[in-house]
Amino acid sequence: MSKIKRREFLKMGLAAGSMMAAGSSSDMITRVFGKTDTPKKMIILGFDGVDPHLLNMWMKAGKLPAFQKLQNQGTFTKLRTSLPPQSPVAWSNFITGMNPGGHGIFDFMSRNPEDYSPDFSSAAITGAGKSITIGNLVLPLSSEKAVQQRSGKAFWQILEDHDIPATVFKMPGNYPPEETDQRTISGMNTPDVTGSYGIYNYYTTDYADLQNSSYAGGNHHEVYVIGNRVDAKLPGPDNAFKKGAPKATIDFKVFLDPVNPVAKIVIQDQEFILNEKEWSGWKKIHFNLIPTQSIKGICMFYLKQVRPEFELYVSPINVDPADPAIPISTPPNYSKELAKRFGPFFTKGLPADTHALDNAALDDESFLEQENMIFQERQDMFEYELARFESGVLFYYVSSTDQRQHMFWRLLDKSHPKYDEKLAREFGSTIENIYSRVDFLLDQAIQKADKDTVIMVLSDHGFASFRRSFNVNTWLKEAGYHKLINDWKQGEDGLFMNTDWSRTKAYAYGLNSLFINLKGREGEGLVHPNEKESLTREIARKLEAYKDPKTGEHPILKAYTAQEAYQGPLVDQAPDIVLGYNRGYRVSWSSPMGSISKNIMEDNEEKWSGDHMASPEVVPGILLMNQKINNMSPALYDLTPTILKVFNIKPPSSMIGKSII
Amino acid sequence: MSIINIFFGKLVEWILFPFRGMSPWVGMIVLSLVTGIFMLLVFRLTSNQKGIKSIKNKIKAHILELRLFQDNLKISLSSQGKILKCNLKYISCTMKPMLIMIIPLILILIQMNLWFGYKSFSPDQTAILKVKLKDNYNPVETDIILIPSSSAIIVETLPLRIEEEKEIDWRFSVKENGVHHFDLKIGGWTITKTVDATTSHLRKISTIKVRKNTLDQLFNPGEAPLLKDSPIKSIELTYPNESMNLFGWHIHWIIVYFALSVIFGFAFKGLFGVEI
Repeated sequence: MSKIKRREFLKMGLAAGSMMAAGSSSDMITRVFGKTDTPKKMIILGFDGVDPHLLNMWMKAGKLPAFQKLQNQGTFTKLRTSLPPQSPVAWSNFITGMNPGGHGIFDFMSRNPEDYSPDFSSAAITGAGKSITIGNLVLPLSSEKAVQQRSGKAFWQILEDHDIPATVFKMPGNYPPEETDQRTISGMNTPDVTGSYGIYNYYTTDYADLQNSSYAGGNHHEVYVIGNRVDAKLPGPDNAFKKGAPKATIDFKVFLDPVNPVAKIVIQDQEFILNEKEWSGWKKIHFNLIPTQSIKGICMFYLKQVRPEFELYVSPINVDPADPAIPISTPPNYSKELAKRFGPFFTKGLPADTHALDNAALDDESFLEQENMIFQERQDMFEYELARFESGVLFYYVSSTDQRQHMFWRLLDKSHPKYDEKLAREFGSTIENIYSRVDFLLDQAIQKADKDTVIMVLSDHGFASFRRSFNVNTWLKEAGYHKLINDWKQGEDGLFMNTDWSRTKAYAYGLNSLFINLKGREGEGLVHPNEKESLTREIARKLEAYKDPKTGEHPILKAYTAQEAYQGPLVDQAPDIVLGYNRGYRVSWSSPMGSISKNIMEDNEEKWSGDHMASPEVVPGILLMNQKINNMSPALYDLTPTILKVFNIKPPSSMIGKSII
Repeated sequence: MSIINIFFGKLVEWILFPFRGMSPWVGMIVLSLVTGIFMLLVFRLTSNQKGIKSIKNKIKAHILELRLFQDNLKISLSSQGKILKCNLKYISCTMKPMLIMIIPLILILIQMNLWFGYKSFSPDQTAILKVKLKDNYNPVETDIILIPSSSAIIVETLPLRIEEEKEIDWRFSVKENGVHHFDLKIGGWTITKTVDATTSHLRKISTIKVRKNTLDQLFNPGEAPLLKDSPIKSIELTYPNESMNLFGWHIHWIIVYFALSVIFGFAFKGLFGVEI
């Protein structure tokens, strides 16, 4: 190296050094797609499950000033929800401007007619192909991929075609996120690292707790305290690199003080101390699959009790947004940007662990602590997105409104089987509180809005009490449409394991769906296509006529046939009957997964006490805008062309909705 | 142990003294430069420079031979064998300087870890204070009192006593920036442990205080050791790990140090007439 070259080298080194010394001054900001300035802007707030009756009541009481202000500026009306009023269906109506006949999402669950097996409706896993096996090691030759099942273009994709930027935060059903350059992060239906919708782990020495062999949505593990120490394993995803795909696990230890209610958890390279009834905050973990492959996740620990029984809850292991194992955002850097700014955050579709509350792994107080963490995180991110919102559309979604109504309706409704006066005094205002908190978010949006900003607030459905449950499959069996192989085994098997398909005419899967066992469509179809329509009408009529022997009310308000309910190219994939429940009723807990329990009607003894699987007219959503609308009975799918209208974009012909402005 | 620690501690401290408060990159570049040049000089003085030059020439010749006779398998194989042999000779020529440098280099790295290995606490951060007792003490039966120096550090848990580890832990949180400390009172002894919650970039942080005249002291030279007859074996704070931020990439400081030392070594070998 010559002298001059050396000097140049040193200069370059110094320059590089000073740049490095300054550190990475530019935070990793995801590029904003499209025009940086649009004549109109739009802030859309999606508050899941906000009910018009409750909203109106608390607005009139002066408890929701921002909602009141928005109503005074423009519109507050009921919003026609989807059929059925399930979130994935309803939000798909909003996303596409179509109904399920167009977008193809008919229920939380779908079924494979070939073998009557259940599946999730929103995303499918494809690409699991050939692999090479060497001893215990399996080397896949192609990787699995989650594929979005919804048909039709999302409104932010149409905006993208017209160069209008959009940030779409946690839109339900947007998993995997639709391909786009817009900033989006996936919402409801995003799995945890095990590939499920969220499985918590609960470690206890309490023998009584372990007597129940199956807990929905959670694993309860028996552990022993030996020498004030607990040794346990945290199960993770299936290890596809090993023969038989065993669960990858992480060993961890819990040291307990012999007297004080305090414990130290040691997991991988981390250790932390918790007091009894305390949350750990996010902990990063990784599951080693083979030496070169691992899956990263984040979870929280809650030390429920040290003595007399040891009880430790570990949240579902969320995908780490800083290094996601599956696609959760577009562009992929968006989740990393948020993680860098806010640290780890909830990525699982519906983050509140309602299963843990139902199974008493969490109590009301600890569940609400978790819910408050979720809401605070949402609020912080909303403020961040709102502050940098300059053009196009900002859609922001809040799930807490829905989740709290599901779990705490029992304390609003004195006739609910799980109503408890003492708990009502303590937690009875939980739902009102969350309405107040979203009112605060709305107030921030109103303050941000200028004269060119359209504000739209919507909920996908309202809410109703869930007091009594209806076992559809049991009703079908009693009415002679569903036959069992062994009648004495009734109530023991799920997934139609005890069904005699050769004699069965109809079956119910999912939360609102009923299917005819149709020849040529179902694997062991019995009903001839010519008989289908008359049989469908007959079953629908009988369902509507059925009365709950305890109350004398009709559990089914309306049984809709697919042909009368839907329009679009995918109507043939629809359930043959869609059940619209009456206020106070819902499908039973066991029926959606193909179980035929002993009784048709049962009291709902779960904490999950509010629901919205009713007939659409029972649980309408809400719509508020800061301008007048031209339709006094708008539907969810009308809002999609309305968004496009704000930006002077002609809606595609596939949309059935009409702009309301 | 103390003399060695004092010497290397002061050496690194003097080098870094003008750069306190600046970005860690400045101190890292300066230390890499100084130690890189130092290692170059040691290498020149202690290695067989002539031998290295001769071996490198031979390797070049054999590489040329490989290219010229690439169609001749016999010559190619023979050249590769010779290159391998030359490489072994080269390693043997560098062995002496390596052996001479390795101990001071390890001692410098131990000191550098205090400067670059850990972050100060920031407000609202929680950490663990771990006290390890001597083997003849039972943590459950030992009276020990933890006293924070001010309300800037809050002890958040009751003591967690682990008999099998002879350990007592507390969780604490820092509420304000600054240099704070804990006083531990045990059996007539009062032992102090500093809590660093400063905002300064380049700062020496001692995570653990160990007993005097032990091997532990050599590897943990950050602060004055505990007296040998103290009932406590060590006091540790779980400071968060620090990394070097390179345009958003977080790299362990030791990787940065070795990379920079090698770069500086090669950059200055001509200037100092060193054959590497």
